[in-house]
Amino acid sequence: MNATEWKEKLSAIRDSFSVSINNVQTENPEAIELRFLGRKGELALLLRDLKDIPIEERKALGALGNTAKEEMMVRLGALKGVPASAGPAAKPNLDLTLPGWPFPKGTLHPLTVTLNRMTECFAKLGFSVAEGPLIEEDYFNFEALNFPPFHPARDMQDTFYVDVKDASGKDMLLRTHTSPVQIRTMKNQEPPIRIISPGRVFRSEAVDASHSFAFHQIEGLYVDKNVSMADLKWTLEEFMKDLFGSSAKVRFMPSYFPFVEPGAEVEVSCVFCRGKADGPRCPVCKGTGWIELLGAGVVHPNVLKACNYDPAKWSGFAFGAGIERFAMLLFGISDMRMLYENDLRILKQVQ
Amino acid sequence: MKIIYSWLSDFIENPPSPEDLAAKLGRVGLKVEEIKRTGASFSGVCVGEILKIDKHPNADKLALVDVSDGAGTMRVVCGAKNIAVGQKIPFAKAGAMLSGGELKKAKIRGVESEGMICSASELGLEGYDNTGILVLPETAAPGADAITLFPKADCTLEVEMLPNQSHCLSHYALARELSVFYGLKLSEPEVFSADVSGSSVPVNINVPDLCLRYAAIVIKGVRGARTPDWMADRLRAMGSNPKGNILIDGSNYVMYELGQPTHCFDISKLSGPKIMVRRALTGEMLKTLDGQPLKLDAGMLVIADASKPVALAGVMGGADTAVSDDTDAILIESARFHPPTVRLASKSTGIKSESSYRFERGTDPELTMKAARRLTELIVASVPGAKVEQVTDNYPVAYERPVVEVDPARVNAILGTGIADGEIYACLKAFQPELKDSKPWKFTVPSYRQDIESVWDASEEIARYIGYDVIPAASQMPMLPSSATPQWAVGIEAKNLLAGLGFSEVYNYDFVSARELKACGLEAGGAVEVKNPLSSDYQYMRQSLLPGLLKTLSYNLNRGRESVVIFESGTVYFKKDGGKAEEVHCAGLMSGEFPEGGSWKSGHGSADFYHLKGMMNRLFAGKGGFRFEAPRKAPSYFQPGLCLEMKLGGNSAGFVGKLGSGVAAAFDFKDNNIFYFEIPLSCMAAAWKPEFWQKIAKIKPVSSFPQNWRDLSVVLEEKYDWAELERSFSGVQDLASARLIDVYKGKNIPEGSRSLTVRFTFSSTEKTLNDAEVGARMTAVMDKLTRNFNARLRS
Repeated sequence: MNATEWKEKLSAIRDSFSVSINNVQTENPEAIELRFLGRKGELALLLRDLKDIPIEERKALGALGNTAKEEMMVRLGALKGVPASAGPAAKPNLDLTLPGWPFPKGTLHPLTVTLNRMTECFAKLGFSVAEGPLIEEDYFNFEALNFPPFHPARDMQDTFYVDVKDASGKDMLLRTHTSPVQIRTMKNQEPPIRIISPGRVFRSEAVDASHSFAFHQIEGLYVDKNVSMADLKWTLEEFMKDLFGSSAKVRFMPSYFPFVEPGAEVEVSCVFCRGKADGPRCPVCKGTGWIELLGAGVVHPNVLKACNYDPAKWSGFAFGAGIERFAMLLFGISDMRMLYENDLRILKQVQ
Repeated sequence: MKIIYSWLSDFIENPPSPEDLAAKLGRVGLKVEEIKRTGASFSGVCVGEILKIDKHPNADKLALVDVSDGAGTMRVVCGAKNIAVGQKIPFAKAGAMLSGGELKKAKIRGVESEGMICSASELGLEGYDNTGILVLPETAAPGADAITLFPKADCTLEVEMLPNQSHCLSHYALARELSVFYGLKLSEPEVFSADVSGSSVPVNINVPDLCLRYAAIVIKGVRGARTPDWMADRLRAMGSNPKGNILIDGSNYVMYELGQPTHCFDISKLSGPKIMVRRALTGEMLKTLDGQPLKLDAGMLVIADASKPVALAGVMGGADTAVSDDTDAILIESARFHPPTVRLASKSTGIKSESSYRFERGTDPELTMKAARRLTELIVASVPGAKVEQVTDNYPVAYERPVVEVDPARVNAILGTGIADGEIYACLKAFQPELKDSKPWKFTVPSYRQDIESVWDASEEIARYIGYDVIPAASQMPMLPSSATPQWAVGIEAKNLLAGLGFSEVYNYDFVSARELKACGLEAGGAVEVKNPLSSDYQYMRQSLLPGLLKTLSYNLNRGRESVVIFESGTVYFKKDGGKAEEVHCAGLMSGEFPEGGSWKSGHGSADFYHLKGMMNRLFAGKGGFRFEAPRKAPSYFQPGLCLEMKLGGNSAGFVGKLGSGVAAAFDFKDNNIFYFEIPLSCMAAAWKPEFWQKIAKIKPVSSFPQNWRDLSVVLEEKYDWAELERSFSGVQDLASARLIDVYKGKNIPEGSRSLTVRFTFSSTEKTLNDAEVGARMTAVMDKLTRNFNARLRS
């Protein structure tokens, strides 16, 4: 017998097996099993014939024969009401349900996940990452940002001071926002500038569910010719859509930050309740349909002047957001302290 | 800031409802955080008297009560426990409007109730005992409308104030905002308007740059001036504590009403009497109203009489010249002080007052005389014998209102809008009704809006006027390429790698205590110190990420965790050359079971040095020139001899090792099986290639001939370390790799020696090596081992 003949014979056996199976009312399953799969059954005999076939073809044919055998067993098993896996040949030698090797699972912190994602969103809109020092000079943190000395706006940000002095003899401070990076970038670069600056900031505040004395912000700055509030709104709406889905909308409300004019508080439509007034009051937006997320505005002419930019020629927008707030929304965390407790039972849940 | 609805309504005709008001204010950037209803708003409730109490026939907990409403007697069902015969109570008849809606006649357990005896909450009253029915004063007359016994229905709005909203810090000011933005008609407060030319108290301003204007009104015959109830009620609602003397309370009242702080001096206590506005002399003292002696300096502005300072300008008055119930003649001060000077004085003395709050934000120079006249009006109206003797307006250089040129095209360019010229003009006209319509408009800024200086400021007002929604989300920004700093890029890369290796990222604070520094063997001397820390726990800036990671380890071990594998990336701080230096570090530790939970296949093992060393290899894989070295000086927190320094391209890439037992003991760990690394990210950043194509290692071709391998076990003294052996194999022909596969000590190996089994793999690009060729190469290997390390084959 050559290989072709062998294959034809196998095919014939399979066909007659199918016929028998389909006529099971008249044929008894045990008899079918004996006829095809028994020790002297048709298939067993055919497999024995393999010894006459040249070695290089034998292996492939053997595999074909075994596959046919398994198929037949499964069909017979089904007929007898026995699950396929319990069939004699399907019974594995190993308990495959034992646990696999414990490759250790590491996790990124929720703030890193959030920060990376936000940075990626802005990178798509052409924003580059810029960084600055955390121990800052009063000039960069306040004065150049249009917080004159003795201005009440300084009360908005309780400041930590350190025992190091800057070149002008003033105590250096822990930056209270990421905004000083705006000044450092503008002083080092010519427009167009389109940067974001993520990083840690500090304020001397008591820790509670929504405050921390160390937290994170992301700053954005775009300076070019003819930059407007509309550019700002478009940018932030695109960003919010990227983060919260294409239905996200952005709303501006009047607000005040010394380094922008006009200034706005930026709210995003609540993607958690989709602004539906019916049903229980949404805990995220408190039923208002809007979530406050950023501060933003047109770069104040005094800030441009501090960086030796002519406000008649250049214009820009700036925005800033707290990363913690975004992380809490995205991960469903209600207490900011959870982000600094470092409980691995919490952190290991990050996917 | 609190705003009382009825007070605000004094200044606008047909005020909108409190909710509408809140929405209108919010739309222009004045956020109303809370609306609180106060006072009584029920109707149809009269004073009743309980005449008789019987048991309800069908219910143990209810009573049948006969109530007189002054005209007749009615029978009601009542469930309260605190009823008693003779009590005066609020009695509601059918049809009364209560907090729950209209009261209807009802049968309760088979008995008709002709009304209801009310509790405080049923009447919608806040701040009363609500445990039963509300018992009214004995003196209440049955039949009288009960609402007359309670404060009138009102609302308190809590409005968030931003530092630039100095023009909104009073009831009148908010009414004015509503009139400007919504066209509501503004009413003016009643003021004392007569001109009185007397000059019994001369007023001099020595420093006109620090005191723009000083209005003074002298009133005599004010002894016994009491505060009227309506004024006391309003002050109480503001959270202020009325003193009962209108000279004090009236001054506060005018501040809340108009936003201008005023002060009354007792003229009999003024030396001179005269008033002088001058700088303090260094060393001068002032006892303030709250009894504190203040040492003054030349940076402070004071009000002085002929001999001494009598008030710290804009911050607080002096105790010695304060009004009292015996005061008969007063001088009312209403001035405009230089904001930074007031703020500096408030900061340096630590006194924050409602007055300094307003002055440091900038008060309206055109308001001073109006406020003084308003206070005069209030005093004169409540003290019959009061007589105004002097009205002085010291205003050496009149405030000149700035003019901002407003070009509508510029406004639209800033906002990104297409607002019609007419709309912009209408907005400016709302601020300045006399504005002429010739472009560019010369917008003269009202004196109360000192925050408007430029077309940017004007644009914000226009956007507020029309509504910020006028700004579209639309842009034609040009494309710009995006890049990252090397430090940012390698930071992300390292974090992702470590997380992939099983490390969980943690975030610790940058602050550490002296005790923690010491426990880690770090010097407080080199650490940056916080001058105003929240507590001594947070006094220093970390120089290493170790203290935070150890705290995290401790936190998790205390919660029953058996395996801790964590890392952190963050800034560390040092003092350097009289200044400071910052570095971003990445550090991590492993402690306890590893892998976590163990495996049924291999049992349970613990983290050790080689686990962490292997992880470092992975972290630095592909970064050229990475190697471990014996450290010349290891950080003191490592156990001596159990630390390696890492090098990347010749620069230090930090350290990896086992922590010392002293560190572990200081943090109360039971042993020091804690393995730690700390890496300055700058070493990776220096090696980082910004261009993608540069980062990609070129693929080398592999031999098309099969490779051969041989295992070799040798015994050699322990003083020879593996790295030396490994280095010695270089130069062996066709050697592709020499991999250590076993280290053995014990039976059959002499004391002080060990057996190393190494798998040598050979591969030639030219041919298949035959047994003889491989054998020759292995002989070369063995020769090197024998010659250099006195090694012998393990039998």
